[in-house]
Amino acid sequence: MRAFYLLLKVAAILVWSAFVIAPFLWALTTSFKTANGVTGGPTYIPWVDYQPSLAAWQGLFGSGAGSIDIVGPFISSVMVTLSASLVSLVLGTLAAYGLSRFSYKAGPVGNSDLTFFFVSQRIMPPVVLAIPFFLMLGWLGLLDTVLGLIIVYVALLLPIAVWVMVDFFNTIPKELDETAMIDGCTPIEAFWRVILPNAVPGLVVAGIFCIIFGWNDFFFAFTLTFTQTQLLPVAIVSLNSSVTPWWSLSASALISVTPLIVVAFLVERYLDKGSIGGRK
Amino acid sequence: MARIELKHVGHAYNRIDGTPRYALYPLDLAWEDGGTYALLGPSGCGKTTMLNIVSGLLTPSQGQVLIDGRDVTGIPAARRNIAQVFQFPVVYPSKSVYENLAFPLRCRNMPGREIDRRVNEIAELLNLDAILQRPARKLTPDAKQLISLGRGLVRDDVAVILMDEPLTVIDPQLKFHLRRKLKDISARHGHTLVYVTHDQNEAMTLAEQVIVMDNGHVVQVGTPQDLFENPAHTHVGYFIGSPSMNFLPCVVVDGEIRCFDQPVARTKVRTDALGANLTLGIRPEFVDIVAPDGAGSLAGRVADTQDLGAFSIVTVMVAEGWPVRAKVRHAPVAPNAEVGLRLSPDWIRLFADGALVSGGAISAM
Repeated sequence: MRAFYLLLKVAAILVWSAFVIAPFLWALTTSFKTANGVTGGPTYIPWVDYQPSLAAWQGLFGSGAGSIDIVGPFISSVMVTLSASLVSLVLGTLAAYGLSRFSYKAGPVGNSDLTFFFVSQRIMPPVVLAIPFFLMLGWLGLLDTVLGLIIVYVALLLPIAVWVMVDFFNTIPKELDETAMIDGCTPIEAFWRVILPNAVPGLVVAGIFCIIFGWNDFFFAFTLTFTQTQLLPVAIVSLNSSVTPWWSLSASALISVTPLIVVAFLVERYLDKGSIGGRK
Repeated sequence: MARIELKHVGHAYNRIDGTPRYALYPLDLAWEDGGTYALLGPSGCGKTTMLNIVSGLLTPSQGQVLIDGRDVTGIPAARRNIAQVFQFPVVYPSKSVYENLAFPLRCRNMPGREIDRRVNEIAELLNLDAILQRPARKLTPDAKQLISLGRGLVRDDVAVILMDEPLTVIDPQLKFHLRRKLKDISARHGHTLVYVTHDQNEAMTLAEQVIVMDNGHVVQVGTPQDLFENPAHTHVGYFIGSPSMNFLPCVVVDGEIRCFDQPVARTKVRTDALGANLTLGIRPEFVDIVAPDGAGSLAGRVADTQDLGAFSIVTVMVAEGWPVRAKVRHAPVAPNAEVGLRLSPDWIRLFADGALVSGGAISAM
């Protein structure tokens, strides 16, 4: 009976793995094909079915005709995503701690309303924000700059950080703060020396969400930049032309997804320990 | 080590209509240096509120808290140098046992060698020395509770150790062991210790003075013996003792205390000033079962006998709805037997509107 369940488990994992990995394999093989290899019927095995070519990869780093330089957008994307995630995480964690531990009251407005206010920023469709952001960045002279994008992304990522962290702090008993204060900590020290070390799993989850949403955003990267600054998603889309270059799209998609996979592997052990839902 | 004084301290939350709802009615109380005190009372009677006011987690809505004569009402918990052990064991989950114990000293920027010396000393005292390097979150609840206590003891100048039902989540067997240990440590170090509990045995074993609370009021402060012998209020008589004190309505006529028209004792107490609502109270320990129709005894019918080995608890109905329990060595009584109850006159207490009537000796018929 146990062997049967083991078999079932292995089978399920295999099916799911195939489901997840297949698109990557597809993209990987496609990225080494030429136009002929893609459109000339199904081909699978390199050197037998088709002749592998580095043309698509070279086109992403080259400067020849029909090629782009993907390194610049890649670096811009990393800068914007990491800076915005970091700022959101710092501000969001502080805000969430306040919302979790202290009561705020302004007339009928209380803590849960404030939390909802943060989260509600993500309820409206992004297009609603496009024009205000465009105008505001214009006034500040930050259109088409990395700094402008960072500011906009903080506005997008902060609600996620606050939301995740409020939930997480609520699972940490208040007695922990109280004990720390009785042991001689100021409230800030209690947060810094006792609560924060216990909030690492929450920080990891919030950080991952921030990085994923920041890295994948196309809409604002597209509407708020023109020529000087280009983020990776925009650069990839701009590869498209009258003939869709599946090979270079595949290659650039792989480049684009690699950092997220690296992040996932790096933080996996923290997730394992802390579980996504927080410490129950 | 310090003397704690509460001066007219009270705490109220405002209801929506603006009137105050008292969790703790204004009171004056002093805890002497080195004393051990128990706050005893049912859940929700204001014990924890009082504790949190002393530790500084709660600012009272009125009154002053003095530690060694210094007004600390507005001073935050961090600067009061108080130790508090909560009902549920609180350890810093990200730290080792050693770091947990060292934390209060690190907060005070003590040099590392001194921290090391004190942590080891306390760990030895609490038998935690074998597990000092283990992560604290993996320990059993009783070990965690010892760590909470250790964080208080590690500061040898701590003003007072407050414990809020610290043994609630501990196994019964370990509870006994830990209770002894607490008493031992507090006796050896001379800490001022305040212990909150709703368990009278715990309160009685640990404390020199028991503060009985009910509904936000302090009902009585006294030694366990005081509380047992002279409960200031029927609440105390009811709450302390097992089984609790017997209460019967009574009247005093011509110096005779009469229950259900039967004289039970004589008294010189002047009853004209006491009001109408007079109650006689007597501990089950001081009720004897005698032959029916004995002089000065109360007639009744046996309703129930519980044989507890060392003694028996006999419940006798002296009137419809008025049971009297007697704690006797032997219970040679058959169910439903007609018996007499002799109430030992030395231990009869009179309560007027619930409050103990003092003065006025009571003697046999």
